Amino acid sequence: MSLQSHYEPGEVGAQNGAAVHHAAPDSEPLVQVIRRNGSVTAFDPAKIAVAMTKAFLAVEGSSAAASRRVHEIVAGLTEDIVASLMRRAESGRVFHIEDIQDQVELALMRAGHQKVVRAYVLYREAQAAKRAAETEADAAPELHMRTAAGEVTPLNLSRLSVVIGEACDGLDGVDSQRVVEETRRNLYDGISEDDLSLAPILAARTLIEAEPNYSRVAARLLIDRLRAEVLSALSGRPDRATGAEMPGRYADAFSDAIRYGIEAERVSPELGRFDLVRLGAALKPERDLAFDYLGLQTLVDRYFLHHEGARFELPQIFFMRVAMGLALNEIDREAKAIEFYDLLSSFRFMCSTPTLFNAGTLHPQLSSCFLTSVPDDLDGIFKSIKDNALLAKFSGGLGNSWSRVRGLGAHIKGTNGESQGVVPFLKVANDTAIAVNQGGKRKGAVCGYLETWHIDIEEFLDLRKNTGDDRRRTHDMNTANWVPDLFMERVEANAEWTLFSPDETADLHELYGPAFRTAYEAYEAKAARGEMRVHRTVRALDLWRRMLSMLFETGHPWITFKDPCNIRSPQGHVGVVHSSNLCTEITLNTSDREVAVCNLGSVNLAAHVSADGLDTARLAETVATAMRMLDNVIDINFYTIPEARASNLRHRPVGLGLMGFADALATLRIPYASDAAVAFADESMEAISWHAISASVDLAAERGRYTSFEGSLWSQGVLPIDSIERLSDARGGLECDRGQRLDWNALRERVVTVGMRNSNTMAIAPTATISNICGVSQSIEPTFQNLYVKSNMSGDFTVVNAALVHDLKDRGLWDEVMAADLKYYDGAVGDIDRVPDDLKALYATAFEIDPSWLVEAAARRQKWIDQAQSLNLYLAAPSGKALDALYRLAWSRGLKTTYYLRARAATSVEKSTLKGTDGRLNAVIASPAAATCSIDDQTCEACQ
Amino acid sequence: MTLTDWNDPIAPSPRGPRGSAGTLADDATGLGEIDRGAARVSVSDKAMINARADVNQLLPLKYKWAWDKYLSGCNNHWMPTEVSMQADIALWKSRDGLTEDERRAVKRNLGFFAASESLVANNIVLAIYRHLTNPECRQYLLRQAFEEAVHTHTFQYIVESLGLDEGELFNMYREVPSITDKAAWALKYTQHLDDPDFQTGTEEADRAFLRDLVAFYVVFEGMWFYTGFAQILSLGRRNKMIGIAEQYQYILRDESIHLNFGIDVINQIKAENPDLWTKAFQEEVRGMLADAAELEAAYGRDTMPRGFLGLNAGHCEEYMRFIANRRCGQLGLAPVFGPSENPFPWMSEAMDLRKEKNFFETRVTEYQTGGALSWD
Repeated sequence: MSLQSHYEPGEVGAQNGAAVHHAAPDSEPLVQVIRRNGSVTAFDPAKIAVAMTKAFLAVEGSSAAASRRVHEIVAGLTEDIVASLMRRAESGRVFHIEDIQDQVELALMRAGHQKVVRAYVLYREAQAAKRAAETEADAAPELHMRTAAGEVTPLNLSRLSVVIGEACDGLDGVDSQRVVEETRRNLYDGISEDDLSLAPILAARTLIEAEPNYSRVAARLLIDRLRAEVLSALSGRPDRATGAEMPGRYADAFSDAIRYGIEAERVSPELGRFDLVRLGAALKPERDLAFDYLGLQTLVDRYFLHHEGARFELPQIFFMRVAMGLALNEIDREAKAIEFYDLLSSFRFMCSTPTLFNAGTLHPQLSSCFLTSVPDDLDGIFKSIKDNALLAKFSGGLGNSWSRVRGLGAHIKGTNGESQGVVPFLKVANDTAIAVNQGGKRKGAVCGYLETWHIDIEEFLDLRKNTGDDRRRTHDMNTANWVPDLFMERVEANAEWTLFSPDETADLHELYGPAFRTAYEAYEAKAARGEMRVHRTVRALDLWRRMLSMLFETGHPWITFKDPCNIRSPQGHVGVVHSSNLCTEITLNTSDREVAVCNLGSVNLAAHVSADGLDTARLAETVATAMRMLDNVIDINFYTIPEARASNLRHRPVGLGLMGFADALATLRIPYASDAAVAFADESMEAISWHAISASVDLAAERGRYTSFEGSLWSQGVLPIDSIERLSDARGGLECDRGQRLDWNALRERVVTVGMRNSNTMAIAPTATISNICGVSQSIEPTFQNLYVKSNMSGDFTVVNAALVHDLKDRGLWDEVMAADLKYYDGAVGDIDRVPDDLKALYATAFEIDPSWLVEAAARRQKWIDQAQSLNLYLAAPSGKALDALYRLAWSRGLKTTYYLRARAATSVEKSTLKGTDGRLNAVIASPAAATCSIDDQTCEACQ
Repeated sequence: MTLTDWNDPIAPSPRGPRGSAGTLADDATGLGEIDRGAARVSVSDKAMINARADVNQLLPLKYKWAWDKYLSGCNNHWMPTEVSMQADIALWKSRDGLTEDERRAVKRNLGFFAASESLVANNIVLAIYRHLTNPECRQYLLRQAFEEAVHTHTFQYIVESLGLDEGELFNMYREVPSITDKAAWALKYTQHLDDPDFQTGTEEADRAFLRDLVAFYVVFEGMWFYTGFAQILSLGRRNKMIGIAEQYQYILRDESIHLNFGIDVINQIKAENPDLWTKAFQEEVRGMLADAAELEAAYGRDTMPRGFLGLNAGHCEEYMRFIANRRCGQLGLAPVFGPSENPFPWMSEAMDLRKEKNFFETRVTEYQTGGALSWD
């Protein structure tokens, strides 16, 4: 680039002794410029003109030099810049050289010379980096490193550069020198060996927001660190390998790790009886490079097995260990293990977290979800709480129905006293969840459900408030409403609603549909006659609004609908669904004898689409293998309580879900807020459903039907797509699309004649963690933001939407200014003028999308699912009215459940890493200037 | 110290808001005799300082920005006890979870904040409140005072949870010179206002009031707290002391509004009383910010003699220059230091970007109070 000396520090616009022509009358003191070295010199606008001319030359070539046009443009701009500077000059009559350069940048931008601005910005950056490097080099003191053994040696910076160079190799848009510089800035004298290997990772992470590929750099640096840890643990002496050496060592490391794990009693001895050589040869070391930083750090922190403080699994060893753990009972164990490994390691499908944690270990508790129903006596209540503890110990999430427990003021026969209601017991359940923290891997997690007619419902709504009596709060427990259709009808009719205590209305929790209405209205009549001890009448709409207010304020209790869960349940012939689970996607029967269990896994939809659409053949293959893995879990599983084993072996439910929906839409170039997205939700779920049910039929043919199949909806030829009519009949109509594309008649015939291996087959889980492992968008969620931070137990992770960056790069729009704008607008592209409209639509974020689109897409999916989906909803500017409309829509579309409601924080903080001040939190302008912001308004200094 | 007689005539002769012809209200505090039959409050009579309007009447609102900040503060309500300290306790008690340098920095950091939150609170209720003669601003001050109490509560909660020596921590502002120097620097501005004879209304007194606002809002909350945030958040990004880091994120969210309220107040006073904002006074304020940055640099050297991964005294000094320049910009002043960039690019992740939290793993900070939902 031919930009040179006139851009140099202290030179632009500064010349000793020059008169200031444009703005300062003789009577005024001279305007001065502070140079970078701190010296002060007089201001000379001519220098600005020279600098800008050079910038135009750099972009337009030297022929432009003589151009009258350039001269005129430059003269005009110079005048604007000087005027702008003079307006700001009141407060001191001193500018910094950087101020002037900022003004130049802004003026060029306002005038539409985008290319010139870019050249200018890039040049400024390059100069700044050069200066920083020079200072660094001059000032860098000699550093020392402390080894684990305590030896102090001089720090070897050249090795650091080599490692970083390898990590950057072959990745677009990354500059290893930037990582090296940022790393060196962060070192300190006496740094430990461990911190030294951490430093480049931290450095690379800070660059992710400007270039998503730095996430890959950080992941590669992390894997280098991990290789050293694992190889040293396995060989018992310091050992390490580069990425290039690892393929030659992976197979040995694998068999060493299995043997080491068995010896350490972390891995099941059964795994030692596999043909480890055959399996080792099937490993694909190159897949180690497929991780984003977030995914790999998550695995490192929590998933890889460790012994005496050192991990002994690398990613491919880990995936194979899980695959082996799921193939234990197969006939050709190696072939199946390799098939399972291939699916996992290619990210086409991922097992749930408990399966990844525990498969192949001595405690293979592989199920994600447990549902229980708490009885109405002290023995039963405390047995349920103990069950919670046992189930949570090995990573299960819990859903408890508390609707049977009598409410405040109900009679207690034994003591002739009055009950304190359900809330104090919920507090005990809350504290139990904290006490049992899943071995430090995850926090204990439990959700309490209460049906809407329960006399304690109003106190239940307040459980998560952070004000009020702390003894009646459950800060760590999730809560959910179990809402009967009759309540929603009363809300719509603005009618009354009566609350009861279940000791007097025990059958209400067991009933749904018309039978519930009959029983409920009979109790109301009884109450009106004065024959009920405990009851209270409220306006249904008041209670509904209170439910929504609390959901908005505390995120709890979630809203789930009892009737669709039961009416469409394939297993209504053998029980009642009393609640959903921790993530509102499981809808299984519970009773005193049965604790429902569900094993989950999710198809990565993004790995099954191309710009041409859904790859159905690949999807069929994935779903078939995935269903086999899920079915295997049931027999291998380690059950901590007998009620769970009893129900799981009898019904064999599994929950196949999906993730990467938003990424799939981006690949297809479909905005989430569109009819096309709703249609794709329908089509993709139909395909998953067809193949999942078909796979379960195939498994039934191979392994036999599940025990309680006779009498189920399946046995009657009623598939999920057919059970919609039952819900419609119960409600007197249902506004829900019924369209179909695949050959359901043939499948229905096979279901009836061959039978099913599993009572339930599908449930869409939130995939909060496994989607990170695969590096795809979460579950069915829209893009949260195009630039944001994911916070979890491993810490904070910057996430930038790589697809958006890619598209912006293609159009020449990704630069420092765009990166800063994206940060300023909190990751939303809607307000950034330079982003073209089609990209604005495609990359609209969760808060920019009307949430009714999420409900409509979910309603289409719900057609095909025998369980439910974890559906989060987002409201950017929540009002009661909007909440009311949204949740009524969810109900009227036949959704079974909803999950979190996400709103935005009241205020955010001052952005610390933008140039200048972001000014968003200031209302009063420091000096007179225009109040609204427009980049074209030359008098506006809001963004200065 | 004698109690002020609120009914003393105001002397020396007060200056009304620029352009207003009326006389100053007899009672700038709101505690005086009720003026029976006085004319009703008009918006144009309301002013930041030396107002003629009755300070006991919130409506009609003049400064909607102050009211908005009050509402934001209320919506951001949180309590320290919502944050679990389990991981912090485990790390703090482990033998080598933290380096000695990290422990020293954490303790001094807590020591600085523990006393500072009280100093700030005292300044609000004992110095600023009396002289800020606008009811909507006072509404915010009351909210802010409560938030300072919540922050002090946070340090009590941390000290108790980690089993720290409370005497050592809460006395640091008297026993650790680099902390004492900062507290003493700020306190002299409060002390001036605390004089029972002090009244705004003269240029000199009004400037003393502005100096206090600068010292506490711009310097204390707007500059010094930020090094403290950087220290803890830098540990947080390495997944260390994550409970405290989360609490600091809440505090930072509150302090962001405190600081910007202070900036708005100063700028509003400037706009209403342009004669206060002379060149000389501007230079004086710039000097205050420069001094404050130097005190902070000394504190950085003291708390981090060697530094730890990603943070050292040199960075903190650079950061303070960056922040000081920003504050100058917000006040419409020329920067006091040469161009500086934020030396902590990771702050983008720790502070700037919105967070999506995994609900099962961390508490979501984003819920607001729902009382004001509109159903129509």
